[in-house]
Amino acid sequence: MPKILIPTPLRQFVDKQDAVTVAGATVGELLQALTNQHADLRKHLYNDEGKLRSFVNVYLNDEDIRYLDKDATAVKDSDTISIVPSIAGGR
Amino acid sequence: MIRIEPTAWAAMVAHAREAYPRECCGAMLGSENANGRLVTVTRPMRNAFEGAQEDTYQLDPAEQLAVEKEARAQGLSVVGIFHSHPDCDAYFSKRDLQNSCPWYSFVVLSIQKGEFHHANSFLPNFDQTAAEQEQLEY
Ligand SMILES: [Zn+2]
Repeated sequence: MPKILIPTPLRQFVDKQDAVTVAGATVGELLQALTNQHADLRKHLYNDEGKLRSFVNVYLNDEDIRYLDKDATAVKDSDTISIVPSIAGGR
Repeated sequence: MIRIEPTAWAAMVAHAREAYPRECCGAMLGSENANGRLVTVTRPMRNAFEGAQEDTYQLDPAEQLAVEKEARAQGLSVVGIFHSHPDCDAYFSKRDLQNSCPWYSFVVLSIQKGEFHHANSFLPNFDQTAAEQEQLEY
């Protein structure tokens, strides 16, 4: 099954695991399965309208899914999903 | 609270002074427990903002992925992100807040006339509408 790497601050919501394997055919399905299994994680990734939070970027291997098929991006068993927050700032 | 070990702290200040008068940025690696966060390694990162970096920073997502892998390989965690404010106080600005995330400590270093002046750490909320100041020790 594809693997989702969990950033450190979120591991407390997935029983301290650093990676979770879930079943699904697309990135969207995997993230749904992940947040169904670990409900406390949901609010970190999704806003109240059920959309991915603005700072949440999702990578399939080394590719940002925004430049692939977004939520509908197909996933193979050997794939790795990473969650990377977008961070910037200025005065 | 967040505590930064001396070598990690020295590396952060060095990176901020080097980047002056531009903003620097980087990741703080270490561990966390119920008492707070401990930073043992500083990982300077590239300011990916394409424009005037005197008052703006942006992390490079590809480098963030690499840093996350490095941290895992060392058995460390990414616990925070730091950036500098050249010739400006170490406050969490509106744009800092709007482009933050609630998962990390955000340390801001004030660099005045090229030298370290003071620093603060902040914990932004989920909606990027407020950030709480956190106790910082170095
Ligand atoms: Zn700033």
